[in-house]
Amino acid sequence: MAMAALRREGRRFLLSPNPSPVLARSAICSEESSPIGVRGISTQIVRNRMKSVKNIQKITKAMKMVAASKLRAVQVRTENSRGFWQPFTALLGDVPSVDVKKNVIVTISSDKGLCGGINSTSVKISKSLFKVTAGPEKAVKYVILGEKGKVQLMRDSKNRIEMTISELQKNPLNYTQVSVLADDILKNVEYDALRIVFNKFQSVVSFLPTISTILSPEIVERESEAGGKLGDLDSYEIEGGETKAEILQNLAEFQFSCVLFNAVLENACSELGARMSAMDSSSRNAGEMLDRLTLTYNRTRQASITTELIEIISGASALTG
Amino acid sequence: MSSAVPFWRAAGMTYIGYSNMVASAVRKCLKEPYRSEALGREKVHFTISKWSDGKPEKPTLRTDSAEE
Repeated sequence: MAMAALRREGRRFLLSPNPSPVLARSAICSEESSPIGVRGISTQIVRNRMKSVKNIQKITKAMKMVAASKLRAVQVRTENSRGFWQPFTALLGDVPSVDVKKNVIVTISSDKGLCGGINSTSVKISKSLFKVTAGPEKAVKYVILGEKGKVQLMRDSKNRIEMTISELQKNPLNYTQVSVLADDILKNVEYDALRIVFNKFQSVVSFLPTISTILSPEIVERESEAGGKLGDLDSYEIEGGETKAEILQNLAEFQFSCVLFNAVLENACSELGARMSAMDSSSRNAGEMLDRLTLTYNRTRQASITTELIEIISGASALTG
Repeated sequence: MSSAVPFWRAAGMTYIGYSNMVASAVRKCLKEPYRSEALGREKVHFTISKWSDGKPEKPTLRTDSAEE
């Protein structure tokens, strides 16, 4: 017991009131093997810490590189895919303020984390959109793409989740995949308006949370009769033997898959950009931490060397003097 | 196309499903260097799970089948 206590309090041992010589000797012997020194402070812990910080820095640097190289490919495709929804917006318009009964909020998030705040942004926007659209006699449902959004929305609105989709990004995103997904959503969800929430990619460091609204054909017809931007729809000439309702249904379905495709790509692009900047700042932080630790480490080492030198010199002068 | 619409609509397909089928038919008509490249864009992979009463049902995997 006493030995253990002495070993633990090696530093205070010399000041203890009545150390018996035997105990003191064994304590000194054990001193040499134990990392806790009498004089010097152990640098072992700092060294280990430095090593782990260095490893973390390596990992974050590698992740940044990976995200940067992936981003370049996705960014080109995202910018090209913007041509998909622009004609639709020109034709049908984007009416986020439309007031309908059955709302479906399609939240797009990522499957993986470590990408800054983009998932919480789209979840936050979805929640506020829910508050805006919810009301008596109105149903609001969620369709969630991506693991991270699911986890966040499960907490308080799991009863309103209609569908979740994940593992979308295992292969590079393509239109076929997204359109099959859009098909599944259309077949399984009843809607008057689909509201897609995603992060629009602006640059590597800035993303704009965006809402795209897609109306069901009946609502488009109702709105176009009411006038406004959709009122111009009648001025288009329709070829073939189809009625306006059929055309509108086809258009609405195709619009949904196109807008979803663009949204998924934009979000993937933002995710990679966000991951890049997050990893960049974390490797910078790791570097700063490493600098601080190195400084502490060197200072401690210097101090212990100085102490040892003083002891040797004073011992030597005591012998000669 | 205008004559085909009522038929696939009656079969429960959406416009998306129809256009996907048509697209894959076109891709299969391509000649070789372009064909495999275009077929590479047909890969489908995701898992979907419906929720009822606040609980997810068993997820179903949709993979490499452009049509149902």
